[in-house]
Amino acid sequence: MNSKVASGPHDPANQRAVYVFEAPVRLWHWLHAFSFAALAVTGYLIANPLPSLAGEASDHFLMGDIRLIHFISAYVFAIGFAVRVYWALVGNRYAREIFYLPFWRPSWWKGLFYEIGFYLFLTRRQHKMLGHNPLAQAAMFFLNTLVTIFMIGTGFALYSEGLGIDSWADRMFGWVIPLIGDSEGVHDWHNLGMWVMLTFVIIHIYMAVRADIIGRESSVSTIIGGWRMFKDDQP
Amino acid sequence: MGIQQTFYEAMREHGITRRSFLKFCSLTAAGLGMGPEFAGKIAHALETKPRTPVIWLHGLECTCCTESFIRSAHPLAADVILSMISLDYDDTIMAAAGYQAEEILDQTIAKYDGNFILACEGNPPLNEDGMYCIQAGKPYVEKLRRMADHCKAIIAWGSCASWGCVQAAHPNPTRATPIHKVITDKPVIKVPGCPPIAEVMTGVITYMLTFDRFPELDRQGRPKMFYSQRLHDKCYRRPHFDAGQFVERFDDEGARKGYCLYKMGCKGPTTHNACSTVEWNGGLSWPVKSGHGCLGCAEDNFWDRGSFYSSVTNLNVTGQVEATADKVGGILAGAAAIGVAAHAAASVVSHTKDSNKGGAQQ
Amino acid sequence: MTETTTPNGFKLDTSGQRVVVDPICRIEGHLRIEVNVDDNNVIRNAVSTGNMWRGLEVILKGRDPRDAWAFTERICGVCTGVHALTSVRAVEDALGIQIPANANHIRNLMMLAQHTQDHLVHFYHLHALDWVDVVSALKADPRATSELMQSITSWPKSSPGYFRDVQARLKRFVESGQLGPFSNAYWGSAAYKLPPEANLMAVSHYLEALDFQREIVKIHTIFGGRNPHPNWVVGGMPCSFSLDGTGGINMEWLNLVSSIIDRSIEFIDKVYIPDLKAIASFYKEWTYGGGLAGKNLLSYGEYPDVANDWSQENMLMPGGAIIGGDLSKVHEVDLRDPEQVQEFVAHSWYTYPDENQGLHPWDGITEPHFELGPNAKGTKTNIEQLDENAKYSFIKAPRWRGHAMEVGPLARYVVAYARGEEEIKDQVDGLLHDLGLPLPAIFSTLGRTAARGLECSWAAHKMRYVFDNMMANLKAGDTATANMDKWEPETWPKVTKGVGHVEAPRGALGHWIHIKDTKIENYQAVVPTTWNASPRDPKGNIGAYEAALLGTPMVDAEQPLEILRTIHSFDPCLACSTH
Ligand code: HEM
Ligand code: HEM
Ligand code: NFV
Ligand code: SF4
Ligand code: SF4
Ligand code: F3S
Ligand SMILES: [Mg+2]
Repeated sequence: MNSKVASGPHDPANQRAVYVFEAPVRLWHWLHAFSFAALAVTGYLIANPLPSLAGEASDHFLMGDIRLIHFISAYVFAIGFAVRVYWALVGNRYAREIFYLPFWRPSWWKGLFYEIGFYLFLTRRQHKMLGHNPLAQAAMFFLNTLVTIFMIGTGFALYSEGLGIDSWADRMFGWVIPLIGDSEGVHDWHNLGMWVMLTFVIIHIYMAVRADIIGRESSVSTIIGGWRMFKDDQP
Repeated sequence: MGIQQTFYEAMREHGITRRSFLKFCSLTAAGLGMGPEFAGKIAHALETKPRTPVIWLHGLECTCCTESFIRSAHPLAADVILSMISLDYDDTIMAAAGYQAEEILDQTIAKYDGNFILACEGNPPLNEDGMYCIQAGKPYVEKLRRMADHCKAIIAWGSCASWGCVQAAHPNPTRATPIHKVITDKPVIKVPGCPPIAEVMTGVITYMLTFDRFPELDRQGRPKMFYSQRLHDKCYRRPHFDAGQFVERFDDEGARKGYCLYKMGCKGPTTHNACSTVEWNGGLSWPVKSGHGCLGCAEDNFWDRGSFYSSVTNLNVTGQVEATADKVGGILAGAAAIGVAAHAAASVVSHTKDSNKGGAQQ
Repeated sequence: MTETTTPNGFKLDTSGQRVVVDPICRIEGHLRIEVNVDDNNVIRNAVSTGNMWRGLEVILKGRDPRDAWAFTERICGVCTGVHALTSVRAVEDALGIQIPANANHIRNLMMLAQHTQDHLVHFYHLHALDWVDVVSALKADPRATSELMQSITSWPKSSPGYFRDVQARLKRFVESGQLGPFSNAYWGSAAYKLPPEANLMAVSHYLEALDFQREIVKIHTIFGGRNPHPNWVVGGMPCSFSLDGTGGINMEWLNLVSSIIDRSIEFIDKVYIPDLKAIASFYKEWTYGGGLAGKNLLSYGEYPDVANDWSQENMLMPGGAIIGGDLSKVHEVDLRDPEQVQEFVAHSWYTYPDENQGLHPWDGITEPHFELGPNAKGTKTNIEQLDENAKYSFIKAPRWRGHAMEVGPLARYVVAYARGEEEIKDQVDGLLHDLGLPLPAIFSTLGRTAARGLECSWAAHKMRYVFDNMMANLKAGDTATANMDKWEPETWPKVTKGVGHVEAPRGALGHWIHIKDTKIENYQAVVPTTWNASPRDPKGNIGAYEAALLGTPMVDAEQPLEILRTIHSFDPCLACSTH
């Protein structure tokens, strides 16, 4: 199930192209990416508003619009994620990778350290991967999957305060506020979550582009077209 | 909720005969400097429905909750104290002192066991065996526990009793602890605010007396009728918030036009209280209306969120180290960007070398 | 040896019976008084103990100096706002900020309103029951009460019917058998001297004052958004004027302020002052409680008439120090001088590296250290009797040039009197004349209570003066309320220190701040009740409470009415004292 070191002649990794990311995964990836971008920009502006506008209050709705975009993107972000979770259950084996870490497998740990060594330039040759390499998998699990859940949980908890105490959002997510302590605390951690995710995105995009340029397999085109291409036939 | 038992019934339950009850009444009359003709009237009063006894204790606090209480315009505080409840113990206003004051606590337990309301202002410190708040030579927490054992329910007045408030701010040198963390086996109604609005306080009491039940509470134990919305939801400056019109400096053009105080650190968007609806001092004004942002005084931890004048607050992990999400996150993302740039440079160098050597990788 | 004489000249004798009063009620916070009485029930030794500590000075460290006002405001909700003002003044001093004229006027108005309300509540709700027998009011003749009232004031609520209604209400209350806050008190004690009619009059005003005090504080609500605990800001006031726009303080609110001022003046002059005189006239023989009042008094001066000028000449209530009862010389007080204000902890539940030395507040240390002396009785968590030769209070011992000082309305009045302030002299001389008492009579429990009443009236009238000045300033076109030039921490020096002071209702209040790298490095408050309720210092000087109790005869040592009278005359605030 997990990505693993290619070995025998029948190993699909030795082939030139493998269908890795099914359409729903790809579609979700881009919805996820663009809604995150919208959420991060609007979220930042909610925390640090633009300079004041002059004139009648009724002439403007700047903060209102920023928040509206945030909330629309939030629904895209959350519903997209829900569909993605569903796809993890019914999709191919690569569809499950970002939702768990096979930490009970020694080979996974071996692969993880191997990758770390590779990125520290200790190892020259990178393993071939079909799905995500263990390091990428760990990063995706912690910095994307968990943070996504966290952002949805805290985000809808904050949203519930606007909807009101007996709203659906309050019933589903209201408990998050006392869990964290208070509403201001939820704002702060929600805000920090944005930065954590942004950190992931910076590294993630770099890695993806880098892999395409100097790696052994296709990367950006894979998340666009779904097919993983390999640049050689060696194991 | 109301006290079903009359004083007389309570005394009978404690094995006191009608004869000694009447004797008690004549002694009371004599003790008050009144003639024996009053004894019968007292007995009659005690046999019929008594006012709900309230024991109001003060821990570590600033007494501002009491001060707020006496500002109540409707009902007037005097009417609450003299006609609605029987405020049998409150060291801030009671006439007796010393052991005569403390005796009232024993009498209350004897007469109204399980039937009085315990109103707590302030909180108990737990460090130094509780001796950062001493009453009658003993730690306050002892008195609190004892009275809580015998009361019917507890009202936690203000942010001190509800959350801990200023003395529990980092580093909380006395380990001041909110009531619900010390008393876990009695219902605690939190009425937070530093202090709470007077009419909110008397509103909670009169609700209980009028409807004979507790008001509905939210997840955190606050009466929904006053705490289920944020100030921001009903703030009259909200149109300016939505428009993106903010006060950028005290007394600037925006301030004079009544723009939104969010950029000056207003905590209205995260504070559950009735200021923007009930308002203060008989509905006259409230902090935001006067031009200062809300401090968030009805919320837990509001002291430890860094500057009151910033819209992005302290994550409150270590108390007072200034660690806002923007600062921590900015450093994190910045470090990632620098790391990525450095790694990219190193990759180019390493890749070029490899290619020159004939491509170990490919 | 049971008899000693303190360096400040008081004889202490611990041989007699020890009487403990804990809690002292009708004050703010938790206070314990222990006294020794001789065979004639005369107090020969007194011990004053602050029973609480919260650690605000510790909590303030490392915080943004612009936030300090909000923290220190929570030192006390009774004298609400006074610590906040002291704090913003300390920060402004440290950063060299000049506030606009309107901010100064508004602050003066708010502080005067605070004095007016605080004094009124103290007199009727915290102090009166020491002199007024509530139950005796049931025996009063409403008609005679009405006559008494109309003979001393033109206040309209004075008809026989009015007093009959109040009496009926009181009767219903007493007959219910549930005496509430009046339970277990000392009604009927021989120490009460008022006739039933005077008692009924006072009880009526207990209720009226409880109602009226709500109005006075609305001045805070208008400028600071609420009361208790209005808002302030470093650099001025957070409120703005918008006389020709919407958004800030407008004519309607200004009219409300003006109307509150008028009504306050009327209530104080027609109810409080006549009651004060009437009650005092029945207690003229009760001459006890002077203590330090005839010796050492301290006031910092308050209400700068012109903004940012701290000279005593500019103060509406000028300050200074009186030493040794010498009214011919008023000493200048310098809060920056390390030799003048110092705090000692030899008998306080704190530690210093060297406890024989005092520390100037800029170098102050607040490190708690709870420990009972070897001669204390009971256990750590069940104290029966304290050992005043060891540590015995959470209150530090502040001294001015080594002297224990009394602060408060009486200190302010004596200092201003000694400075020859006409208004103050007229008030004091007038009252003494009406009561037929000589000037030294003012150095007493009653003098303290009288000075508070006079000051309440003075403050109400001064609100009118300040308000009119503010309106003139607005008319001249100056509407600024805040100076934000040094708002951003980047504009601050790396290291700086400042001191702010206020004459709070209970007396001289100072906050000393050290700012380093834009954060609070050290913060120390020396508070009125810290001065008055002070324990002994290393030399053995006793503080104002302890001194004032000495020599007082008690009618019945089991009923501490006399102790309550004298201690209440200081208007103790224990949350303030230890902070
Ligand atoms: C221009 C922007 C982006 C590019 C070029 C890009 C590229 C890629 C590539 C190449 C992969 C496949 C990785 C692999 O081969 O193992 C991938 C996967 C992924 N990316 Fe991105 N990405 C972008 C933006 C983002 C953003 C903004 C997020 C999150 C907020 C994100 C989250 C993910 C996740 C969670 C996966 C794993 C998908 C899965 O396995 O289900 N990506 N991305
Ligand atoms: C990766 C996803 C998200 C990011 C990066 C993000 C970012 C942010 C940021 C930075 C803020 C400002 C925090 C502050 O007040 O200091 C914010 C506020 C908020 N976010 Fe999100 N958010 C995300 C997802 C969501 C989701 C899923 C919801 C669900 C509805 C949501 C709802 C809110 C709400 C209600 C606020 C408060 C708006 C206000 O105070 O006016 N967010 N968000
Ligand atoms: N002592 C004192 Fe205060 C006053 N007045 C403070 O400065 O009461 Ni709470
Ligand atoms: S909650 Fe605030 S106002 Fe009430 S006692 Fe505590 S510090 Fe004072
Ligand atoms: S002033 Fe405060 S409560 Fe009002 S709209 Fe602005 S942020 Fe919200
Ligand atoms: S500071 Fe408190 S009083 Fe109301 S406006 Fe904010 S909750
Ligand atoms: Mg101090």
